[in-house]
Amino acid sequence: MSDPGRSVTVDVRPPTPPSRPLTHRARRAAALQLALAALAVTIAPIGLRALNYVRRTPRLQPTYLPALEGPRERLPFDAAPVGDLAGMNPTYVVIGDSMAGSRIDPRVLTELTHRPIAPLLQPASGPAWWYLALKNWVIPSGIHPRCVFIFFRDTNLTNALFRLDDQFRWAVDRVALDREDEVNAVVAARQSGGLYRVRDFVDRTALATETREWVEPGVSASAARIVEPYRKKRADFLVKLNERFGLDHLRPMDAADIQLAEDRDADFDAYVGRSFLPLMLRDAGRAALPLCFVRVQRRPAGGRPPVQSAALRGYVAKLRAYIESHGAMFRDDYGDPALTLDLYSDGDHLSPSGRRRYTEVFYVRLRPLFP
Amino acid sequence: MIFHSLDFVVFFVLVVGLYWLFRQRAQNVLLLVASYVFYGYVHPWFLILIGTSTVIDYCAARGMERWPERRGRFMALSIVSNFGMLGFFKYFNFFVENVGAALTAAGLQPHLPVLRVLLPVGISFYTFQAMSYTIDVYRGELRARRSLLDVAVFISFFPHLVAGPIQRASYLLPQVEGPRRFDVERATTGSFLICWGFVKKLVIADNVGVIANKVFALSDPSFEILWAGVFAFAIQIYADFSAYTDIARGTSRWLGFELTENFDHPYLARSPADFWRRWNISLSSWFRDYVYIPLGGSRASGGRWVRNVLVTFLLSGLWHGASWNYVLWGLYHGLLLVATRAHRILRPAAPVRRPWIAGFQIVGMFALTCFGWLLFRETSLRDIVRDVSLSPFHSTPLDREAGLYLFLLAFLYSIPLWIQSVWVELGRETPATGPRPVAAWPVMVFKAAACGIAFAAILVLRSRTSLDFIYFQF
Repeated sequence: MSDPGRSVTVDVRPPTPPSRPLTHRARRAAALQLALAALAVTIAPIGLRALNYVRRTPRLQPTYLPALEGPRERLPFDAAPVGDLAGMNPTYVVIGDSMAGSRIDPRVLTELTHRPIAPLLQPASGPAWWYLALKNWVIPSGIHPRCVFIFFRDTNLTNALFRLDDQFRWAVDRVALDREDEVNAVVAARQSGGLYRVRDFVDRTALATETREWVEPGVSASAARIVEPYRKKRADFLVKLNERFGLDHLRPMDAADIQLAEDRDADFDAYVGRSFLPLMLRDAGRAALPLCFVRVQRRPAGGRPPVQSAALRGYVAKLRAYIESHGAMFRDDYGDPALTLDLYSDGDHLSPSGRRRYTEVFYVRLRPLFP
Repeated sequence: MIFHSLDFVVFFVLVVGLYWLFRQRAQNVLLLVASYVFYGYVHPWFLILIGTSTVIDYCAARGMERWPERRGRFMALSIVSNFGMLGFFKYFNFFVENVGAALTAAGLQPHLPVLRVLLPVGISFYTFQAMSYTIDVYRGELRARRSLLDVAVFISFFPHLVAGPIQRASYLLPQVEGPRRFDVERATTGSFLICWGFVKKLVIADNVGVIANKVFALSDPSFEILWAGVFAFAIQIYADFSAYTDIARGTSRWLGFELTENFDHPYLARSPADFWRRWNISLSSWFRDYVYIPLGGSRASGGRWVRNVLVTFLLSGLWHGASWNYVLWGLYHGLLLVATRAHRILRPAAPVRRPWIAGFQIVGMFALTCFGWLLFRETSLRDIVRDVSLSPFHSTPLDREAGLYLFLLAFLYSIPLWIQSVWVELGRETPATGPRPVAAWPVMVFKAAACGIAFAAILVLRSRTSLDFIYFQF
């Protein structure tokens, strides 16, 4: 490896540690050990299944998202908003997460438009929730608002799996019916084929979801039992503990809720067919509901709107063209000179005063929609 | 690509499957391609950086050998290019922010540029690894390699590329250059390491990480809640980082490589010096050999030795991130070492080997380490001041109960980690020689059952919140 006649240096540090000799018997034993370990890993899911059988897990409800999860305990569909909407008959409906909630002040917008506004907001929700709220609440209510506004950030609309993790799924339960075949089909299409199917297969074989339902609370309960031995007091303690970690006790962080759009999510053509956007446009079209998608501006930095990658700019241009070609409206807040940093509180959220100001700006910018 | 993803499982199975079909040179080509796919999987532009670093270091080392009288210039080229890239991506904003703050304090209103580029994952690790190659060649301790492929594989070897352990050229390069044979025993022990690594990451680190994150998100933590969170973070960072190392070592064994150990049960350390012999061994030995010893090491007189220690630890802190809390963390550990030595000088005493004293030392050192983790985890100096001024006498009963609950929860999840540490510590013995012993049936069944239980634990107890490996950010 050295240049002949030129190398004057040698490696002085120890090279690779010499491997200890391996006898034929030891090699066979190692192979057997590997095979035994592989066997144990293979039968572990069956062991978990047997454990569940012995423990007789209570029967869980089938999920409306079988592409994503097994049976579990779910919250029931909340039908109340259907009647509420029908009774209110709003002229405008606002759907979204905290981006909409911290921007649109329904009272201010009602004062400006002299029309009733129905906010359908769910913090930490994603496009699955927004679509289901439209499909299962707004459309069945039979109302005919002048516009349904759907607020989103950057690539959220075509990211079908955004906020569909199990900690967010409880919110989706409230807007989902017993079966949501089309939603499930979108989720299934968005998942990376075989890999997810393997994990799903293993989880189902092991009844992993069912086992988690009693193992996880068991771990937490054993810690709680030491702290508070009496069951009644323990339940009270856990409620207070949750309150202690509630939103009003959290630090205001500039970075809060900022989720940088990855350029790989900004591939509009790759994802639009596997998102809820076509379903939203189709269902709204059938129900003759005018839709307006509002892309919020993220937190400005250095006195300017946040920098957008070329991929994101291209994505937004395609998104706009797609939405408008399907008869809906598109409002992009990005670059609006009125949306300055002083309107923001933490992350992309607006402050209470910023919320009022935004609502006024929103009213002015979309004046044709508010005759 | 991250280890705890199905993408990686498929990638690794494919690489291993192909790898053992080839001879050594083709194996290296495959390793390089696989490493670049692994590294550029999400952000392909990262490859430009690692590729540039590799070519420059290869050329610099070759230049040092061909023109020994100019080796200083080539060394400078390597240092400037490597630390230039590292400094630009990692420290530019830190520098600008602090300059901006200083100018603002001086009454000026500067408009300084801010870099809006993602920090390339693992840049600190592979930069240090590449530097070990050129520095060793410069010192005459290593021959410059003629094969760019071998050097590129050494720098980009995917199992440890993103979060270490940092390998020395003198240790890993001979393995890259030499023939490799499939060793079933090595593959078996590698599988155990991978299995244990996944348990540590998915079951322990991610679950206690949720506790730590919740506590450090509070604006008004109590004394008890805060220290329960610090305890959780101590568990998280050890489980998380050592998990990465274990998976890296395990996957390397499947490829016929042996990586150095990076952790030796650091929470059983009895003194600051002992802690640094057990924690992130590859990084601390890098700083020892390339910073501390060149500065004069422990042979220097009192004042100079203190300077050497503090400079080394300040740099080590800064290596972790461009933030003052990391500098403070490094300084704190440097001061601990200085204080320990000062104590030994002032009160020399023969080491006492009573178990209860050892237990006392371990608990004391763990408490000191946890204080260091508080400095490490809090990103703002204001929050650190607030945290250290918290008093246990101002807590409500709920705060006390909450602190105890969170502590117990973190402890419950970390029990396997403690058992393993104590087990290994008690069973330490001198390295065996001669043929490797053949495992008995009960041992084999026990190990296999442990693998099965580990897999079941991953299925059932893996955290619902998947967190990135902490050391990815460094």
